[in-house]
Amino acid sequence: MIELKNLTKKYEDFVAVKNLNLRIEKGSFFGLLGPNGAGKSTTIGMLSTLYLPTSGEIWIEGERLTRKNTALKRRISVVTQEYSMRQDMTMEEIMEYQGRLYFVPARERREKTQKLLEFCDLFDYRKRTVRKLSGGMKRKLMVCRALLTEPDILLLDEPTAGMDALARRQMWNLLKRLNRNQLTILLTTHYMEEAEILCDRVGLMDCGKLEETDTPKAMIERLGKYAVDRMSGEKMESRFFRTREEAIRFISEGSKDAALRSTTLEDVFLEKAGKHLENR
Amino acid sequence: MGILTVLWEKWVEFRRDFYKITLAAMVAPLMYILVFGMGIQTVSHGQPYLNFLIPGVVALTTMNGSFNAIAQNLNVQRLYEKALDQVMISPTPLWQFVIGQIIGGSLRGIYAGVVILFLVLPIGTNLCFNGWSFLIMFLNGAVFATMGVVVSFYAKSHTDVPRFSNYVIMPMAYLCNTFFAAEAIPHGLREIIHYLPLSQASSMIRQIANREAFSFGGIGVLLVYLMLLMLMAFCFLYKKRNL
Repeated sequence: MIELKNLTKKYEDFVAVKNLNLRIEKGSFFGLLGPNGAGKSTTIGMLSTLYLPTSGEIWIEGERLTRKNTALKRRISVVTQEYSMRQDMTMEEIMEYQGRLYFVPARERREKTQKLLEFCDLFDYRKRTVRKLSGGMKRKLMVCRALLTEPDILLLDEPTAGMDALARRQMWNLLKRLNRNQLTILLTTHYMEEAEILCDRVGLMDCGKLEETDTPKAMIERLGKYAVDRMSGEKMESRFFRTREEAIRFISEGSKDAALRSTTLEDVFLEKAGKHLENR
Repeated sequence: MGILTVLWEKWVEFRRDFYKITLAAMVAPLMYILVFGMGIQTVSHGQPYLNFLIPGVVALTTMNGSFNAIAQNLNVQRLYEKALDQVMISPTPLWQFVIGQIIGGSLRGIYAGVVILFLVLPIGTNLCFNGWSFLIMFLNGAVFATMGVVVSFYAKSHTDVPRFSNYVIMPMAYLCNTFFAAEAIPHGLREIIHYLPLSQASSMIRQIANREAFSFGGIGVLLVYLMLLMLMAFCFLYKKRNL
């Protein structure tokens, strides 16, 4: 279990994360959602020890996470938002370097590298330097690199950003499969569809604060399972209803050009974060 | 183990850029020797100036080789490629990472020095370079590799490393007992220059080259610099809140 206790991160006057308390159960798939600057990446940064919290603590399976706790760090892999790789190394060298940094034995390193690169359709490009890879290939390589060390916890900071639709689907399938094997995953993403499909629970962050945590289904049900979109002047407006009947009644009561659909996590996000943004 | 990982990374880099690294190590020192030593033929301390110049050039080549191998590379990895993030996140103890960089940088410095020694071999200067010379070259390289680590860690932009090189490394290369004896420098400045690491290294390498007894105090000075710079590097890695 990952426990964040009163976690705060300040950059001089700016508070990026405010008093964050969160528990993520072992083997769960947790999504952190929020607008740009909400504090998601800073939270991942603190979980990866790249940033030290200004105050508060992180505990994993009863052990406090610090930069010096190498045994605990061994169990965590991170896919950062930026392509954090040497541009002049080949894919093979990137994997080798990662394996060495995580003390993976040589034979295991070679076997897993081949397996992972083959799985992600990267094996034929293994001699190619990172500089010459497309954005999607770099993302896939970062995931391969993170999985090479067989972590217990995988931190993903917008892992599918820049991927095409097919590559994204492949990535989702891979992550789902990994999660089924008890890998704890913490994901930040701007794709609400991704969070809805993958995550058991999601947390909505805004201005460094965790506003709400729940299952995507419960959040959607709380807002109303059915959505009606209609144009109000030049603005698209959505209304939410608990039952289909209520929604149909609303449309039949005179809403022209209205469309009925199922509510999504994006609606929840827009309702919560959108209102906060409007109030800013 | 972590030290070996860094050395492996340095080896990959060295193997790939072998010709570039070798050529870069040769050009400037070769020019110094050709212009100052062979072009302008003078006598220093009763000996051909080349005998004075070569040990100085070897020391400064070691310095440049080590500093350049680490500073720019690590700075790019930290600020541009963000590749250093992956090291910070990994379970490799950060002190091992720093030690690996220092050893890797020192070896690159020694390599640059050895290239110069091979180049001056046909001149037949009768200078002596032994195990002590290589130990001093290694220590000198270690000091400047560590300086490279510290500068790259504290740099706020890509231009900070070349700027540091211009303000600190280049003046040292000319003033620290390399091209002329530090005694020629006015009092006040002379004492400061005397205690700079390159002054100590070039003096010791020159004394050994001329088969004179050298002062072990110089090794002590280099070790003090090494310790202080290592402390700064460790403070950054373990204490800095935002890498």
